[in-house]
Amino acid sequence: MSKKFFVVLMAFALLLGACAPAASKSDVPAVCGTDKAGCAVIAKGSTVKVGFAGPLAGDYAAYGQDQVNAMLLAIKDAGDINGWAIEMVAEDDGASAEGGAAVANKMASDPAFIAIAGPAFSGDSAAAIPIFEKASIPMMSPSATNPELTAKGSAVFNRNAFTDEDQAKAASAYFYNEVGVRKVAILHDGSDYGQGIASGLEVDFKALGGEVVAFEAITSGEADYSAVLAAVASKAPEAIYYGGYNSEASVLVNQMKQAGLENVIFFGGDGIFGTDFLTKAGKNGEGALCTTMVPPASDARKKFDEAFRTAYGVEPGTITAYTWGSYDAMAVLLKVIKDVSIVSGEKLYIPRAALVEAVRTVKDFTGVAGTITCQQTGECNASGPIIYHVKDGDWVVVE
Amino acid sequence: MKKPNQSTMRTMLKVGKYVRWVLGIALGVFLLWRVVRVVTVEAAYTPDTWLRFGLSGLILGGMYALIAIGYTLVYGIMFMINFAHGEVMMIGAFCCFFVFELFRFLPAPTMTNPDLVFLNAHPFLSVLIAFLVGMFVSGCSGYLLEKIAYRPLRNAPRIILLITAIGASTFLQNAAMLLFGPQRKNIVNPAVLDRGAGWTIQFFGKPVLISYTGAFSLALSTILMIALYILVQKTKLGRSMRAVAQDKDSAALMGVDVNRVISQTFIISGILAGASGVMWGIHMGLVNHITGSLPGIKAFTAAVLGGVGNIPGAMLGGMTLGVIESIGPALLGIDFQLKDVIAFLTLIVVLIIRPSGILGERLSEEKL
Repeated sequence: MSKKFFVVLMAFALLLGACAPAASKSDVPAVCGTDKAGCAVIAKGSTVKVGFAGPLAGDYAAYGQDQVNAMLLAIKDAGDINGWAIEMVAEDDGASAEGGAAVANKMASDPAFIAIAGPAFSGDSAAAIPIFEKASIPMMSPSATNPELTAKGSAVFNRNAFTDEDQAKAASAYFYNEVGVRKVAILHDGSDYGQGIASGLEVDFKALGGEVVAFEAITSGEADYSAVLAAVASKAPEAIYYGGYNSEASVLVNQMKQAGLENVIFFGGDGIFGTDFLTKAGKNGEGALCTTMVPPASDARKKFDEAFRTAYGVEPGTITAYTWGSYDAMAVLLKVIKDVSIVSGEKLYIPRAALVEAVRTVKDFTGVAGTITCQQTGECNASGPIIYHVKDGDWVVVE
Repeated sequence: MKKPNQSTMRTMLKVGKYVRWVLGIALGVFLLWRVVRVVTVEAAYTPDTWLRFGLSGLILGGMYALIAIGYTLVYGIMFMINFAHGEVMMIGAFCCFFVFELFRFLPAPTMTNPDLVFLNAHPFLSVLIAFLVGMFVSGCSGYLLEKIAYRPLRNAPRIILLITAIGASTFLQNAAMLLFGPQRKNIVNPAVLDRGAGWTIQFFGKPVLISYTGAFSLALSTILMIALYILVQKTKLGRSMRAVAQDKDSAALMGVDVNRVISQTFIISGILAGASGVMWGIHMGLVNHITGSLPGIKAFTAAVLGGVGNIPGAMLGGMTLGVIESIGPALLGIDFQLKDVIAFLTLIVVLIIRPSGILGERLSEEKL
């Protein structure tokens, strides 16, 4: 019995081996033979799958949902890939490393899965990189900002988000060159983000030749920072840089005058951007500066904003600041897929290794949030952080 | 295996005692050296900055003291730590928020200024109403807290009362979060009490700003503390409170209504917490459901520092803690994030040297 079964199986295998390649050999593009990772083959009527991984439930759900919404618009705008429909696969990874690995495995095992505009956070991205690396699936994260991610020499991981280091660089260059500040006091809230960005600024500002007169940590969540501000005031800084979030930043700004820091510039990272800062700081917040990824007004942004509003009924950027970047991440991936894919004999062929290479060598792609040009490390944000300041009670781009 | 005999044990203890002394003195000398160095050699801060530190410490200390008195009053009578006291203060701060919000949108137009709102037209009245509402609501909260959470457990072991108090604190925090949302709310003051405004004085040739809100808070907490001291020392209610604090049973035999006195004590401690909550709101300007939590713990620390159960001790403890917190990091030349470490370390040191607190009397077995 078992012997008979084995024979039948053998016969089938032989049949498959003999017939399947023979039937389509003439149609397969030559590049599929030479491509290290081979080609993804998508039959007529099937879809090209692109994805996103991020938190879609739980505390950070708003982040993922907002990003997916923006990406769906990018897919709608792209239309199709040389006649093949595009399918969005959005998976919830709970913003955790375990979730990131599980989702990556699931996506990588699907032969029609081509590229991912994500994952959303740094932790899940780190876990997903080796899995996508093996499957030669290119990644483009609009929001994973940890500097480490691109430092490990991954071929597939790219991001169009700028890093915290970029923010610190932009801020210190602005301080030193544009405003002419030479003495800066740095405060931070002791968080990974806050302390990281503050230490970055310290290094960059000193490298430019400036003087850091104070570097102090504050306790987050308090309502009184008058003592630390008095200490800072005695060092007579020309500007204060704060690494942290808007809740503490607004308290600091409100108490600066009492501490004798009336005409001192207040500058923060993207953590202080938002309407919360404006309402809590009131007129004390006037003139405060920050770096953020919110793009300045442009025709492209106006068009996107309108489409987003009609589709979802909310102003883009009210939930996260990543809306525009998410659109761009998906848009640039789809454009590259379009360029690389080959239609041959009723089938769509996408050479995987060539796609990974093509994403890494993207140049001068103009998106809504800015220009995307990938460096060899996978850092693709070419426009850098945008500097905003509070003018007449609203955040506006610094001219 | 030889058991250490008694005489070796005794020598070991003696040696341990010497080691402790030596370590203590070494630490003291090191701290002194550090302070002298920071003040004189490094000259990190100019005199006007020290004055600023002291001022912000006194203002903070005044509020701590007022909350600490609430702890001390209740402890003196019930020998329990009312951990929900900080939350009663939070309720006071929310009252301030709501009263100011109401008056901010209540039009009070005059001929010259048709856009004038009640808050700016009658700033004194607005602040007074905020205090009355805050003290009333907090007083009621204190009363209800005792009635609902503590009275049924009057004769239970003290540890159970303690756990109930922690439970009540968590309940009030979460109730406030569900009612008002987790975000910090901004309290908008009347224009004359703007947080950046104040008197500028010259100190060693440098201007130092004494903010109106700070001066107001400090003055008011001093007045309230004096009023309370008179209440406890000179009135009939105060006498019965002291009687209950000394011995509940004897007081009852002498015709003091113990339940009534305990209720009144909770109302008074609630009123004081409410007043400090409103002050917190006016001076700090931010309130959410956890506003009372850290000040509550600090005030508890202050109460223990000064000697729990002792009213002047609570005042002294509060002021000391506030000043230590704001001057300490600067004096030692360390990070300002470590101010809480300094505050709590001071508590530990005081407890080691004087377990009953700075002004505390030796606690009898029964009180412990």
